[in-house]
Amino acid sequence: MQHTPPRWVRTLLRWWADPNTSEEVEGDLLELYNYWVGTFGQRSANWKYTLNALKLLRPFAKDKRSQYPTTYLYSPTMLRNYFKIAWRNLVAGKGISFINITGLAIGMAGTCLIALWLQNEVSFDTFHTNKDRIYQVYGLAANVDGEAYAIPVTSQPLGPTLKKEYPEVEAFARVKGTNSFLITANDKSISGVEGNIVDPDFFQLFSFPLLQGGEMKQLVHPNSIVITEKLAKKLFGTKEVLNKTVKIDASDNFTVTGVLKDLPSNTDFHFEYLLPWDYLKKRGDGSINESWLSNNTPTYLLLKPNTNVAAFDAKIKDLTRRYAGRNDVWTHFVFPLDRWHLYDEFKNGQSVGGRIDMVRMFGLIAAFILLIACINFMNLSTARSEKRAKEVGIRKAVGAGKGLLVGQFMMEAFMTAGIAGVLALLIVQLALPSFNTLINTELIIPYSNVSYWVWVLAFLVFTSLLAGSYPAFYLSSFNPIGIFKKQFKKSQAAVSPRKLLVVTQFTFAILLIISTLVVRNQIQHAQNRAMGYSKNNLIHVPFVGDIDKNYALLKQELLRSGSAASVTKTMNRLTESGSRTWGLRWAGEAPKDTNTALTLFSADADFVKTAGLQLVEGRDIDITKYPTDSFSVLLNETAVKLMGFQNPIGQLLFSKSGKTQWRVVGVVKDYLTGSPYEEIPPTVIEGPGAWFNTMHIKLNPNRPTADNLATAEQIFKKFNAAYPFDYQFIDQEYASQFENEQRLKTLSGLFAVLAIFISCLGLFGLASFVAEQRTKEIGIRKVLGASVPNLWGLLSKEFIGLVMVSLVIASPVAYYFANGWLQQYSYRTEISLWVFVFTAILAVGITLLTVSYQAMKAAMVNPVKSLKSE
Amino acid sequence: MKRTFLGEFEEIVLLTVAILGEEAYGVTVTQELEQKTGRSVGFSTVHTTLQRLEEKGFLASQMGGATAERGGRRKRFFTVTAAGRKALVEVKQVREELWGALPPQTLQLMGG
Repeated sequence: MQHTPPRWVRTLLRWWADPNTSEEVEGDLLELYNYWVGTFGQRSANWKYTLNALKLLRPFAKDKRSQYPTTYLYSPTMLRNYFKIAWRNLVAGKGISFINITGLAIGMAGTCLIALWLQNEVSFDTFHTNKDRIYQVYGLAANVDGEAYAIPVTSQPLGPTLKKEYPEVEAFARVKGTNSFLITANDKSISGVEGNIVDPDFFQLFSFPLLQGGEMKQLVHPNSIVITEKLAKKLFGTKEVLNKTVKIDASDNFTVTGVLKDLPSNTDFHFEYLLPWDYLKKRGDGSINESWLSNNTPTYLLLKPNTNVAAFDAKIKDLTRRYAGRNDVWTHFVFPLDRWHLYDEFKNGQSVGGRIDMVRMFGLIAAFILLIACINFMNLSTARSEKRAKEVGIRKAVGAGKGLLVGQFMMEAFMTAGIAGVLALLIVQLALPSFNTLINTELIIPYSNVSYWVWVLAFLVFTSLLAGSYPAFYLSSFNPIGIFKKQFKKSQAAVSPRKLLVVTQFTFAILLIISTLVVRNQIQHAQNRAMGYSKNNLIHVPFVGDIDKNYALLKQELLRSGSAASVTKTMNRLTESGSRTWGLRWAGEAPKDTNTALTLFSADADFVKTAGLQLVEGRDIDITKYPTDSFSVLLNETAVKLMGFQNPIGQLLFSKSGKTQWRVVGVVKDYLTGSPYEEIPPTVIEGPGAWFNTMHIKLNPNRPTADNLATAEQIFKKFNAAYPFDYQFIDQEYASQFENEQRLKTLSGLFAVLAIFISCLGLFGLASFVAEQRTKEIGIRKVLGASVPNLWGLLSKEFIGLVMVSLVIASPVAYYFANGWLQQYSYRTEISLWVFVFTAILAVGITLLTVSYQAMKAAMVNPVKSLKSE
Repeated sequence: MKRTFLGEFEEIVLLTVAILGEEAYGVTVTQELEQKTGRSVGFSTVHTTLQRLEEKGFLASQMGGATAERGGRRKRFFTVTAAGRKALVEVKQVREELWGALPPQTLQLMGG
């Protein structure tokens, strides 16, 4: 059996015996102890054991093993050494380090900016507490061709009915937007502020952060108004406005029950105040529409937890059909909140993407920009390999394993990336305001957010690994014997990885250049398009307050004062796409043609003159001269073509029911309605039998615009005293229709420049290495009679070749994508050959410029010097 | 000629290790010595001597052969190195030379 010696002796032994031999000593003594117990008995054995143990104590013995530790990759000493060597290498190759760090910093900054933006995009409306249970009700209808289309708005009775009939619905909110209310507080009036009129349960669904106010749920009741901090400051000059009174349209009083923090940049809601739904009823201005057949309001639902959405969809599908009592109307489905922002495009009734495409595209661009910057690091590190081969050889010879060398090279990558990262943060901080202006948002760097720093760190590590791992494994794989026998040769493979990487860089840069050019061409193409009306000196004033009532007087005064050249009132702004209608009839109609959508417009008089349209035939509508003009119409040429009139003047159009008829009095040349990228639709301009929402004023071109506006303002004050004079220039509105494309152009241009710049930085470094490597060769060539241009060509040729390869790869890819992008515009430019020629010239030119400096420098060196070196 | 320092006890221990062959470690060496010499040998002394011999390069050691009896600890097995064998041979030669130089009558006096 097993005996155990006295415990205290064992402890003593464990603590103070010679650490180098303690294992076998303890073992030996234990074995002997058992033997002694068997031979001499326990007492004696204890005595012997203790005596021997005491004699073997070596309290001051040094652990010899620790003097020669196994080389452990991440021991503090090694790490310190990596750091030191990395730093020395950085400092030693200042030029290269500069190129590496600048390239990486710019690349990382670009990537960070895009990442911040995309993060904002994907976080849209995700701050609502109940975001997983919020849905928007959609309609699903079919057009005459049988193609399904989704309708994001519903009828007004739908929401309350859903709540009443379906236990799954916890709450609903209808949201009606307006900007036409006049808001007054303390005799200060503001108009044109975006507001929403919502159902009382709005805050059960949406949790916008509250600054002041009580229980969220009770914010919206019949006499309450909830406003944002921004509006509070505008109206009252302070945000302490709880329980103060706000007047709407100078007549209805509301008490402020809540002040919201300004809406975050990542929400699709835009409002500065919220009013209760009941107010719409009270106003009685026709906004309330109890018909099941008029879709005009977005309806949002909060479903109870664990609702089976598919089953719910099936239940509500035919709701409108049941209530409207018709089977030829739309069905319904619900659309979850997390898809609202990114998947807002529907095709044939199916969600097919939307902004997510842009998010993906820019995500890809960000990844490539980073890759390009990392490629610089890889290429310059491996290009330097010959210089460092000896170092690797010696390190290996004195015992460094592959792992240690990888560690060292990785440390260099980490250090470069670290410095670049700090620089990148700085660049992001400096560039963020302009970037925000560019993409029209309010991104911030969340410095106080821990997860942000975790991301930054992870990003740094990722970048270092991406940039550093290839050179680290490549450099550490050298065979020391080969190095010292001078047999070390760079790889002779037909396509060296370095060339492949350069081609990757330039392919991407060229892709971006071509895309930018195509976007630019498309914008120009649309901007150069004949508008068909004259947008200069033209303003429009929406009908608010008493404008409609006093229109005749206003017009008279404006003309008499000399501020206006002509005035007309219309249904829509000229820059709007206007209302559409189907089913007008005419003599000689074809069924297909009556199913084509017609764009409706309206005018009372002087429309042709005010808008500067060209009259092809007949006359303008003029209700003042011809009292029957209420039911006269103007057609545009496309409409005439559609209707097939040989002699359009005097033709009659009929409404679907046949009750109303219009007489054609004139034909105007086609002019743009709405988007400059769309085909011009067949347009019918009705006389004053239709309705009016706005007026257009052609300012007197012979007087300064400021004077005209000042005079006009006084006249408007006289006839519409309660409201400030709100107007828009049509040319500015027209220009704003190019904003999205302009933004895309600027962004792709920006990243094209970044990509080219970083790639060229790398090329510059590579060229300097190539030139250095071939110093002797160049010297000999010079001695043998090569001229400077000869040598310059020799050194540049290789790089030009790489860029040409990139061009060949990038062009078809760019064509494919650009062509796909253009398909979304009906009025689009062709992708001309010149785009590619220009890109080629640009790319080759930039490359030549970059490489030439080094090439010329190398070619100019006196061969006496270059051949003497070493 | 470089002299080999080999104390008397060291010599015996070295010899014992050689005798035990592959089974030489602290315990066996101690027990073998006690049996062969009949004198009580302290384990601590043997251990220290083995260490010293290894430092001098006469012994080489390797770890192995853990048993439950030893609480799972390994043994340090010793083997005589080439230098150790050379030292033993030298000591033996010196002895033999000295014995050989002994006058026969003295040898008889000693009862040999």
